[in-house]
Amino acid sequence: MLELHNVRVYHGPIEAVHGLSVSVSEGQCVVLLGPNGAGKTSTLSAIAGVASSRGQITFNGHDLEGLSIEERQRLGIALAPEGRRIFSNLSVRENLLIGAATRTDRPGVASDIDYWFSTFPVLHERSDQAAGTLSGGEQQMLTIARALMSKPRILLLDEPSLGLAPLICKQIFALIDSLKAQGMTILLVEQNVRDALQLADYGYMLNSGNLMSEGDRETLSRQGASMSTLTGINHT
Amino acid sequence: MSLSAYISRDQRSGLVGSLLLSCLLIAVGLLVVYFGQRYQLRIVYAAYVNLLVVLGLQVFMGNANITNLSHSAFMGIGAYVAAICVTPVKIKAISLPQAPWGLNAFALDPWVSAFIAIAITALLAWLVGLIITRLSGIGATIVSLALLVIVHSIFLHRTDIFKGKQAFFGIPQVFDINSILIISVCAIFVARAFRESHWGIQLRASADDEVGARSMGVNVYRVRLIAWVLGSVFLAVAGISYAYFLGTISARPFYFTHVFLTVAMLILGGMRTVTGAVLGTLLISFGLEGVRYLETGPELLGIKLPELLGLSGIMLGVVIVVTMAFRSSGITGNTEIEQLFNRWRR
Repeated sequence: MLELHNVRVYHGPIEAVHGLSVSVSEGQCVVLLGPNGAGKTSTLSAIAGVASSRGQITFNGHDLEGLSIEERQRLGIALAPEGRRIFSNLSVRENLLIGAATRTDRPGVASDIDYWFSTFPVLHERSDQAAGTLSGGEQQMLTIARALMSKPRILLLDEPSLGLAPLICKQIFALIDSLKAQGMTILLVEQNVRDALQLADYGYMLNSGNLMSEGDRETLSRQGASMSTLTGINHT
Repeated sequence: MSLSAYISRDQRSGLVGSLLLSCLLIAVGLLVVYFGQRYQLRIVYAAYVNLLVVLGLQVFMGNANITNLSHSAFMGIGAYVAAICVTPVKIKAISLPQAPWGLNAFALDPWVSAFIAIAITALLAWLVGLIITRLSGIGATIVSLALLVIVHSIFLHRTDIFKGKQAFFGIPQVFDINSILIISVCAIFVARAFRESHWGIQLRASADDEVGARSMGVNVYRVRLIAWVLGSVFLAVAGISYAYFLGTISARPFYFTHVFLTVAMLILGGMRTVTGAVLGTLLISFGLEGVRYLETGPELLGIKLPELLGLSGIMLGVVIVVTMAFRSSGITGNTEIEQLFNRWRR
């Protein structure tokens, strides 16, 4: 479904990813692992069109080169960015509407908002509140729901557990698991290796912009020791 | 399909809010029509013209969070274009004997003139907007300031068309207090509808986090340009209303003093809301009348006060400083009038 072939990602003059190849099939949950500065977020940004890149990225047979963020979103790519980046002065409902910025079917958008409000009653209760007043976990739910408002075919999830309490993390991972069960294709970036591998069908291990290893859940779990040295997160 | 699928909750809420603000405006208008003197009528008219300007400013500056200082120039363009189109040929023969391109050889119906004025202002705004909307923050503000100076220089020095410092006279008096009441009520509904529209929401999202909004697929330049041109229409209508009531215009009112006055109104009220625009305009318009009275050195409670010339200018500056220091989001912050009522009810 999504193929990256020898992709290099640039932040201005700096090359953050040095030739990465990644493949995600329909219905799969693929995880990118690695420490800070490994190039995980850069890779997601390149797919979404937020960062500039060289190399080939194809999505459902479309070459993404030269396509704007908007056009990529219309093809079905949605990004739930790192650090949540909710619009804090906008209400919860308005945040969800922004997720549907590229959609034109208003009744469909309205019923999708109702759907997310029934899935997350907390967000429904606070629908008219400024999103900046939500807790971290609630903001993460909003970020994921907002990304899904564009009716994507693949969800790019950037560190959903960042800065959340362990209990809230569990809820977020349960949510991702249920999305996967519903057939959503997910490309997940995480530093929380153990929880991420529980969800993942396949994984890539990055460091300093290079691919270190790749494999299915078992293979990567077996390499746990090297991973914990890389990420600094204990994997037991 | 039910209507509620097409008009969102927030849009319905916006209609209620617009209605409440309209009632306030109409109440003030009726009060002055039935009980006010002639000079008070003029003060209210001027306040409502400024309200159109502040609403136009809110549409772009409030929603995009980009400070604009060129609005008085666009108001001037609207006023002058309408004036040139509508003024009778006989008067133009005296006042603009050397006008180029046959500008003094025709005169149009007031409504046609107003339409042309709005169209030209919007077209110019669109051209400038192509540059301004691509800049953020201080860059856009500086360009808007340069624009104000350019337009003012043209008004001043192309005396064959605009008469510069002298009065451009003989504009038919088409509007009265009722006209401006109707126009400002319409303007409130349009400004609020824009704020709650999907363009308005996207623009406000870009004000919160421009990169974030882009990564959600929001075309930031486009929504900014839409707001910028829509705002310029408000400004053109304000200029036309000004010219059609006074019958005389000159370059001076469309410059710094007016820019400063209207920005102070928006900042005091709160630029993120339409309620803030209305509140700020009314408070400063009527507050300034009180200050002007004090300036003359009146006798209050048997005490003769000294003459305080320039007090109104100082007060405007103080209002901006105090608002920015203690409540930078203005009186209303993020809250529109009907949301305030809802909170009280709870």
